[in-house]
Amino acid sequence: MTPLLQLVSVTKSFGAVRALKGVSFDLKAGEVHALLGENGAGKSTLIKVITGAHRPDAGTMAIAGNAIENLTPTAAQRLGIACIHQQPTLFPDLTVAENIALRLGTTRSFARVNWPANRARTAELLGRIGAAIEPDAEVRSLSMPGQQLVEIACALGAGARIVIMDEPTASLTQKEQHLLFGVVRDLKARGVGVIYISHRLEEIFALADRVTVLRDGESIGTREVHQPSGSGALAGASPSGASPVDAPSGEAPEGQSDRRGACPTIDLTEAELIRLMVGREVAAIYPPSESDPGDVVLSIHNLGCSAGGVKNVTLDIRAGEIVGLAGLVGAGRTELARVLFGLTPADAGQIRLHGQSITVCSPQEAVAHGIAYVPEDRRRHGIILEMPVAENLTMAIHRRLFPGSWLKLKAERHLALDLIRDLGVKAYGPEAPGGSLSGGNQQKVSVARWLATKPKLLILDEPTQGVDVGAKSEIHRIIRRLAKDGLAVLMISSDLPEVLGMSDRIAVMRGGTVVATLPGGTSAHEVMATALGQSAPEAAA
Amino acid sequence: MILAAFLVAEFILFSATGRNFLQPDNLTNIVRHSTEIGLLALVMMPVILTGGIDLSVGSLLGLCAVLFGKMVQDAGLSPGAAAAVTLLVGGIAGGFNALLITRLRLPPLIVTLGTFSLFRGLAEAITKGTATYSKFPDSFLALGSATFLGLPTQAWVFVAVAGVIWILVHRTTFGRSWRAIGFSPEGARYAGLPVERRLAFAYVMAGVVAALAAIILTARVTQARADAGTGYELLAITAVVLGGTSIFGGTGSVHGTLLGVAAIAVLTNGLSRIPSIMGVSRELSGVLTGALLIAALAGGVLMKFLSERRARRQTSATPSTPSNA
Repeated sequence: MTPLLQLVSVTKSFGAVRALKGVSFDLKAGEVHALLGENGAGKSTLIKVITGAHRPDAGTMAIAGNAIENLTPTAAQRLGIACIHQQPTLFPDLTVAENIALRLGTTRSFARVNWPANRARTAELLGRIGAAIEPDAEVRSLSMPGQQLVEIACALGAGARIVIMDEPTASLTQKEQHLLFGVVRDLKARGVGVIYISHRLEEIFALADRVTVLRDGESIGTREVHQPSGSGALAGASPSGASPVDAPSGEAPEGQSDRRGACPTIDLTEAELIRLMVGREVAAIYPPSESDPGDVVLSIHNLGCSAGGVKNVTLDIRAGEIVGLAGLVGAGRTELARVLFGLTPADAGQIRLHGQSITVCSPQEAVAHGIAYVPEDRRRHGIILEMPVAENLTMAIHRRLFPGSWLKLKAERHLALDLIRDLGVKAYGPEAPGGSLSGGNQQKVSVARWLATKPKLLILDEPTQGVDVGAKSEIHRIIRRLAKDGLAVLMISSDLPEVLGMSDRIAVMRGGTVVATLPGGTSAHEVMATALGQSAPEAAA
Repeated sequence: MILAAFLVAEFILFSATGRNFLQPDNLTNIVRHSTEIGLLALVMMPVILTGGIDLSVGSLLGLCAVLFGKMVQDAGLSPGAAAAVTLLVGGIAGGFNALLITRLRLPPLIVTLGTFSLFRGLAEAITKGTATYSKFPDSFLALGSATFLGLPTQAWVFVAVAGVIWILVHRTTFGRSWRAIGFSPEGARYAGLPVERRLAFAYVMAGVVAALAAIILTARVTQARADAGTGYELLAITAVVLGGTSIFGGTGSVHGTLLGVAAIAVLTNGLSRIPSIMGVSRELSGVLTGALLIAALAGGVLMKFLSERRARRQTSATPSTPSNA
């Protein structure tokens, strides 16, 4: 059978840097082919070659057996190649129907727009992927996954045969992921070839037929993925006690039907994939806990904030302890962090820090009390992209580092160099703009800024979202080290394996309050069930 | 850089074509006439650095001028006491802007557009639209006409203010915070910076210095009228933007602003010295200032575009560079 898409020995250089060194890749109709690799491995370049944004230096590309040359983005679109980006690129102020009409409609000027037909078409496309979205809804009002579904509808409407999904689940909740997975399987059933990029290995096991690993611009290997029949097989493969096996089990509801029977051969493990990606054996995915929890650092009692939708939260965090904060998106986890950091001050309950009752009405007060918050959206909140790394690093310690408001550039540079070395930030220097760093390194800068404040409590909100596997495990090691040094850590994460692998205790939030605090060894299943508010069997049914 | 070259070109051109352009008297004249707008530009700069704008400084200058005049002429206050009160009023007016911007989170453009009308209206209410105040003691008027150590008196005030603001912007955490707020107000807030306080400081400072400019203008023109400073806010903004401060906030320098002020002041004065166009020099300088601003901005964008295109050729591969090769 002729592959839908075939690339042979594609190379691409930018100046002296060879981004792709002869990569071959193929995609069959009705297949989900995952593309895996650390940031900088060449995934984006490969995708840009396929979508016509970059012209390869050498190598051939064929679609359904026809050689393609001089591909442009417009031509790629006509050939049925659609790319769904991590950040949807829709017009937020227009309605769904208007957006779809803009993408698919006529390009003639002064043509009359047939709105009823557009709306009907939008409804039909959305219906095909089972999305409950009103054609007249403003895109602004849609959630991130909602917007992604609109993008997928656009791709369908354009008659896409090849759909590229770039980290589509980065900002989705578990439930939304399931919806998206359903859509991907549906596309597959329609004979569409899907190239699926994700850092979350469990998704690849749940969804992909084949996986190709890129490293340093080379294709390291393509493997068949035999979707696991149960979670037990993977648990054996994962050396850490709290194994990241929830994904297959969480996948169980709708995954069961289209799994190709119970396949006994597991020829690909998570550990092997990681080894392929980073080129070295990763002994344990999550470093083991070494901490010995000490005194209670933070104690909150019946804390509430009506503006933030947080109510009756009671929680203790000890020195040297990592408390994972699990829950679905919208359960109030980030909102709780915002209350503790003074962004939306509490209007009920008590916060005690080392036994002292405190109020936190602004981030400045939080900083003064030794509460640090590494926010979820690092590009908007975590760092200031336009400012140098050094200035980003010292931003929270102006008072201590610059007494009397006078800048001390030498002292700042020294401190920045220390922090950069300490956390292994890869930047060409303290003067590099924050935006020039890769996602993982930006995240390290964001963490380092708060470490510089010498906090008592560190709140981390999705600390490894959208960072590559290598940086992810580095960040995990940093968190472990901080806890070992006696810092109290509250870690919010939607990455359930991460919560399970890192936490000494797991607090689960639902509906704006902490519904349970579970011990570290809790199973993924139980955490998920608690977060969903279901008794355990229902969650899997 | 371009601006400095332009300034030199202006000097060469006007000394060749203008009558008495390079005479010490005329140079002094340029300094005297540009002090007020220069002061406004100096305090507009930090405001624009935060991504804000203050349209009310010209109107506030008018209000402060008539208040000062009324206090000296009608209430019999000494110029010193009146000046102190005027500066206080300026600070309060700036604080009013700041209050609306930081507490109610209204956009600075709208807030200061409102106070732009409000302050001018108050000034006209005080003068009933007609009164001017011109009974000032000579000792006060010396501020506008005398020289001190070889420079016009008001130039020393300007130098002092410029020095303070340069230090604030470039050597203290104030400037650092203003830039952070200009780039990303939310990012600055999440970093624990006192965003509201820093913003308020910039607007209050703008108010105080607008009041100072009002006193200096009054001393120079020897009278205080309700229409004093009309349109100055736009010239100040022009000087700041011409001086390389981004209207979107975050980047800019005080020395750039000073160059911007000088370029406009020299242009206006130089044109009025060329005999053939003397009659229309005011209009012409307006046209040329506008053209200069647009050319500077367009040139900046073009240079950025070119250097980015060059950089893209060289470094677009950098993100794809293997991080652990």
